[in-house]
Amino acid sequence: MRAKLYARRRRRNAVAMSLSLVATAIGLGWLVLILGALLWQGLSGVSLKVFTEMTPPPGSDGGLLNPIVGSLIMTGLAVLIGTPVGILAGTYMAEYGRYARTTSVVRFINDILLSAPSIIVGLFIYEIAVATMGHFSALAGALALAVIVVPVVIRTTEDMLLLVPNALREAAAALGMPRAYIIRHVAYRAAKAGIVTGVLLAIARISGETAPLLFTALNNQFWSTNLNAPMASLPAVIFQFALSPYADWQKLAWTGALIITLAVLTLSILARALTATRRQS
Amino acid sequence: MNVAMVNAPQVDRAATDKAGLRERISIRKLDFYYGEGHALKAISLPLYDRKVTAFIGPSGCGKSTLLRVLNRMYDLYPNQRAEGEVLFDGANVLAPKQDLNLLRSRIGMVFQKPTPFPMTIYDNIAFGIRLYERLSKSDVDGRVEESLKRAGLWNEVKDKLQANGLSLSGGQQQRLCIARTVAVRPEVILLDEPCSALDPISTAKIEELIEELKADYTIVIVTHNMQQAARVSEFTAFMYLGELIEFGDTQKIFTSPNDSRTQDYITGRFG
Amino acid sequence: MPSRAQVLMRMRFADKAFQHLTHATALGVLLLLGCIIFSLIIGSLPALRAFGFDFLLTQKWNPVTEQFGALAPIYGTIVTSVIAMAIAVPIGLLVAMFLTELCPMWLRRPISIAVELLAGIPSIIYGIWGLFVFAPFLQVHVQPRLIEAFGEVPLLSSLFAGPPYGIGTLTAGLILAIMVLPFITSISRDVFETVPAVLKESAYGLGCTTWEVFRNVVLPYTRVGVIGGVMLGLGRALGETMAVTFVIGNAHKVAPSILAPGTTISATIANEFTEAVGDIYTSSLIALGLILFAITLVVLALARYMLLRVERRLGA
Repeated sequence: MRAKLYARRRRRNAVAMSLSLVATAIGLGWLVLILGALLWQGLSGVSLKVFTEMTPPPGSDGGLLNPIVGSLIMTGLAVLIGTPVGILAGTYMAEYGRYARTTSVVRFINDILLSAPSIIVGLFIYEIAVATMGHFSALAGALALAVIVVPVVIRTTEDMLLLVPNALREAAAALGMPRAYIIRHVAYRAAKAGIVTGVLLAIARISGETAPLLFTALNNQFWSTNLNAPMASLPAVIFQFALSPYADWQKLAWTGALIITLAVLTLSILARALTATRRQS
Repeated sequence: MNVAMVNAPQVDRAATDKAGLRERISIRKLDFYYGEGHALKAISLPLYDRKVTAFIGPSGCGKSTLLRVLNRMYDLYPNQRAEGEVLFDGANVLAPKQDLNLLRSRIGMVFQKPTPFPMTIYDNIAFGIRLYERLSKSDVDGRVEESLKRAGLWNEVKDKLQANGLSLSGGQQQRLCIARTVAVRPEVILLDEPCSALDPISTAKIEELIEELKADYTIVIVTHNMQQAARVSEFTAFMYLGELIEFGDTQKIFTSPNDSRTQDYITGRFG
Repeated sequence: MPSRAQVLMRMRFADKAFQHLTHATALGVLLLLGCIIFSLIIGSLPALRAFGFDFLLTQKWNPVTEQFGALAPIYGTIVTSVIAMAIAVPIGLLVAMFLTELCPMWLRRPISIAVELLAGIPSIIYGIWGLFVFAPFLQVHVQPRLIEAFGEVPLLSSLFAGPPYGIGTLTAGLILAIMVLPFITSISRDVFETVPAVLKESAYGLGCTTWEVFRNVVLPYTRVGVIGGVMLGLGRALGETMAVTFVIGNAHKVAPSILAPGTTISATIANEFTEAVGDIYTSSLIALGLILFAITLVVLALARYMLLRVERRLGA
């Protein structure tokens, strides 16, 4: 009887373990399939033209210059706006307000904002920026992206600052350093790599965001660097081209998708490399 | 000498000359609370100018707590408060309007675990100097050299001032922290178990340093090593469970203490 | 040469200013959430006033007659998310178990990196892949077999009925599953690693198999954290826009068959917002957004609360 029970338990274990192996293969196999499809479809469309010519009307040749530039401009602006806000708030939570009740509330709300649907952010910015200004604009798009950047930067800044040992702060305080001085010269310096990593991750996150741009920056067929007017962005163009019935537009969509994915992967690898070097030093 | 004190540490110095002693810091009826917990009970004791005073006692007796009251380090944390008076050159350190940064620039502290800042050796020292004074580069260089010499570290690091502070050994790091403290020219130096993380040779070097530094600074040292207290200090305070049990000449405390608890601790019967 | 006290006095002003600045920014986060909720409510008022509670129950979506109802989008959002979670949760937990119990040391980092990469791929990539690669594949190889297999089964035949479009609710659910999987895997793995080794060792010491240790020690111990992670994944699935928009078919209908096209809240908004004319149309879309935000807010708050309890238990 005992042997039979034991055999059954061993069988069950074997089944469970093989299932987990299969699950891992299935779960991760998608990565290979997706990246494979991206490379297959997108690589063939990559040429210098993609980076030098603008989006074409259907049926003719062209590139992705204006959406690439548009994405760069709006991402850059979003990071410029969102990073200082995020770092300041994170600094309060880890330094001045470390033991305050408000901080735990802010942290909780921030974590919710971190995972909130990005299309809601688009709606919000639409109401406060587009509706009030009367038109779509790149600025509104950048603002929407900034709203996504802020929670990410807050989270990483607070986490990184909390990792700085208190002994370091005490040593600086013992010399008579004022609080802001300690934060600036000791805490920030010690947490620098981590905070930069957070910014890189935020950039990676917004590089692929489409929904918030759809009704803030809209899209633009032509070249534009005007912040007060609609601006093209890679994700919006991919959205438009992929859902269109035109083969050459669809091809450009794949190429654009490949470009975005490579950018995101590079940023993630960079961020990871930064964390690794910090751990060594 | 009391026969029972045969196990007590050796004190090699004579009793201190009471004439010419000036009280630099006067602690008067100090109470300290961690939240609801009463950690220090009505402590009163003097800290004499340019002498070394040691706080000794078993773990948890409050000696580090007492030390950290002197430069109001506890102020960094919530739920910790002090009541009573700590007079430093006449002014009460515990007064709410006391400028903490100014206070801490005059009363420096070296911690148990060496904590060099994440910067070069040079910057570790120059950091404090630059905070208060606008000096030319050569002046700063001079001050850095002076501080490192006082800490007995100059010869070992003079060729690698641009190296990271963390690249030094434990004993060197601690001397760097001492140099850093000395660089801002305090009047009092608080040492919180400065040698407990170090090897015996580094410990000996730091004890030599204390001998030299006391010519210019008032020094208070917390130590759980009684032999160290006997070696370096002129005055000793024995604390137990948050109370000051006995204070006096080191020579007297270690040869004929008044209180039996002091005697028990010193002869190793507990703690 | 100014005295030390003077130098410190000068710095005190900057110190205080910095403190107030950081404090204000931190409070700004709360303000942001409030503003989002407020603006959504204001924007939905016209529609809510026009349709009242019926908005939640009507399927009708007619821009011409300006009759709008949220039933189809809400239904689609829920169904796709349920499909996604039904698939992603067991697989995600199994992968996490593999990573923590079975996986050889040298393989752990590469697999963890692969999981992170999957989580980092932008959703529009999933969308375009879903539309051009996955949906056609399903249309040709999977869906006909499903229709055939369940064709005779009484209840389930209507669930799997209809022509194989390729795109549709099921496809959207599957894509969501692939997207949510890395999240559940990561969080579960992190939570599984918090089980104290002694606990597992005592079970192994009794002669338990790996599966038994997992089921009887690891899972119960990490129950709260796992649920938190699952809810986080759910929050993401509910709000996911681009991947779903590409493959769901955008039909404002509540169909019994999951092979039929449908729509979700975010897909509706993404597709129709820029073309919406008239206040009621726009306002209805914003009202949809409000509903989505309300649902995700509750789910995410619960998730965070549970994960908070796990952290607290670790600290204590």
